[in-house]
Amino acid sequence: MPWGYPKSITITAGIAYVGFVLQMAISDFNFYLLTSPVNLIVGALIVSLCLLTLTIRKAKFLKWFTSIPFSVCLIMALLILTLIMGLTPQTGTIPADRNFFTMLGFHNMTGSWPFILIYFTTLLSLGSLIIRRLAKFNIRDYGFYLNHLGLWLVLFAGGLGHADMERYIMHVREGEVEWRVYDGEGNVKELPIAIQLNDFDMEVYPPKLTIIDRTSGEPQPQSAPDYYQIDTKAPTGKLNGWVLEMNEYIHQAVRNSDSTYLEAPIPETTPTAYITMTNPSTGEVLKGWVGGGNRAQLYKSLELSKQYAVVMTVTEAKRFMSDVEVSTPDGTTKSAILEVNHPLRIGSWTIYQHGYDNAAGRLSSYSSMELVYDPWIVPVYIGLIMIAIGAVAMIVRGHSLSRKSLLIDNQEEE
Amino acid sequence: MNWDTFIWFALPAMILWACAGIVVYRKKSRVLADILMVSGISVYTLFIVGFWINIERPPMQTMGETRLWYSFFLSAIGYITYRRWKYPWLLSFSALVASVFICINLFKPEIHSKNLMPALQSVWFIPHVTSYILSYAMFGAATVGAFVQMNKIHRNGISDKKIFDLLDNLVYVGFGFLVLGMLMGCVWAKEAWGHYWTWDPKETWAFVTSMAYLAYIHLRLQGDKKEKVALWLIPVAFVLLMITWIGVNYLPSAQGSIHVY
Repeated sequence: MPWGYPKSITITAGIAYVGFVLQMAISDFNFYLLTSPVNLIVGALIVSLCLLTLTIRKAKFLKWFTSIPFSVCLIMALLILTLIMGLTPQTGTIPADRNFFTMLGFHNMTGSWPFILIYFTTLLSLGSLIIRRLAKFNIRDYGFYLNHLGLWLVLFAGGLGHADMERYIMHVREGEVEWRVYDGEGNVKELPIAIQLNDFDMEVYPPKLTIIDRTSGEPQPQSAPDYYQIDTKAPTGKLNGWVLEMNEYIHQAVRNSDSTYLEAPIPETTPTAYITMTNPSTGEVLKGWVGGGNRAQLYKSLELSKQYAVVMTVTEAKRFMSDVEVSTPDGTTKSAILEVNHPLRIGSWTIYQHGYDNAAGRLSSYSSMELVYDPWIVPVYIGLIMIAIGAVAMIVRGHSLSRKSLLIDNQEEE
Repeated sequence: MNWDTFIWFALPAMILWACAGIVVYRKKSRVLADILMVSGISVYTLFIVGFWINIERPPMQTMGETRLWYSFFLSAIGYITYRRWKYPWLLSFSALVASVFICINLFKPEIHSKNLMPALQSVWFIPHVTSYILSYAMFGAATVGAFVQMNKIHRNGISDKKIFDLLDNLVYVGFGFLVLGMLMGCVWAKEAWGHYWTWDPKETWAFVTSMAYLAYIHLRLQGDKKEKVALWLIPVAFVLLMITWIGVNYLPSAQGSIHVY
């Protein structure tokens, strides 16, 4: 009975069991053992094994190994393992309080033996199935090919390529050139890539206004603080029983005198608003400037009483960008404005805007960049594109996409 | 239009949907049900358009805004699917769930600031979220369909082939959207954070959910075999989907997640 669920469940559970025993015996699977060229050899081995199954196409074992029951069991195994992963904090390292669950590798699921064994079994089963179906190529199976081959490519290149991926953080001061980076553990390393930071700049959103208790600094009312989002189109608001009216807003302001502000396009500026506060119960009216502070300017608040004052919240970043020049040893030089969601690609490296001196904000004297080396990205993206086309086919065709091809397949089996 | 005026659009929309969901059971009033449902969706759409223009960015950042779209797509796709398969329960159900999400927005709005953080400023943002919400709507409908089918099996001892046809189509279409949403998330993550998949808790749960629906799809390839297991997988998968969407924020294992805003 080659198609049975009992057999598939037993064998899948058996693989997971062996994984757990290995996990308890020799602890985590060291993924970095797979660093190039080991992953290339392992990859070639997997592909050859899948191709070899062509020679035993008629064997009961292969029919079962590429059958629906076994696929369902492997899918369920991956589901259960990742479900455990989703419920257990993934610390990666072995925690101090070793217990039964950490011994089973739950804290580092993707590096645990059961996960690795199920992953490799999936690669082999899926790979053999694709080869078997490709051997009887039929264009009507396009949905099958796109989805399965795409997924196999992503699993194959994403998993095996993981060990070759490198990620570093580089901090560059304005006007300087840097090539030293920090890895995940904080070790310094010198890279064959140099980055010159010409300029760092950022834009901020208009901040909010709120009333704080001047002694505690807590926004009021304490249970559910009121905030007025500065918006020149909606210049009124209510704060803790007071009515606020914003008369003027300067996004980039410098203090001109004790009581006046001017607009100026320089980094040292801070958002500033001129407001009128009215207390409807007492009829009290107070007017004045409220401004955020930074390293160049003192903040400005509007006192309502001895206890309360109107203040501006810390600004939130809208954009931050680095004007850089990147050079590699072969003489390639590229200039770019790096920004979140707009990285720069140079060879197998990708450079990302990562951060800045949060306390200094726009006055940050340096910019942090992340450098990612990922030589396996191309096959992964090919896989992703194939799955995407397959997904569109699923949306358009519904379940008729696979039913026909399977029927043909089943008839041939019989 | 803003959250303060939301109720003046939400209430009429909900009343129209409720009426449509009731009259649809009278065979003679099917046209009236169409008119009521479409009017409800139109009123609701009007708010979304006005709101979008007013806040000057796509309303897809906060949980409240996501729910806004969930209600929209549930009502719209629920209606389209009802037109295709003529099941009245599909219309009432999608109207009901769409209304539930509106009520959450009315009573527990969690209105956040209108500032979009830099990582979210991407061309992938709208298609990523929209695709996911479309799949949620499909899977939501499939879940009810699964219960209807279970009830049929319980009463008649045999499954209804037409319902299984509908279920399979809903899951295929929903899965297609789920996968597209996930892939766009991958490409976006690569652009913003340097890697397409980091097993962030939200990603882990998205993977778990997709595996559950993938198992359903494969189980169903064997036709009538394992019908009951397949049927039960749909509500289980939907629970996983809900954890991915809402529950992750509350899990202790997700406290470092970059997806929690």
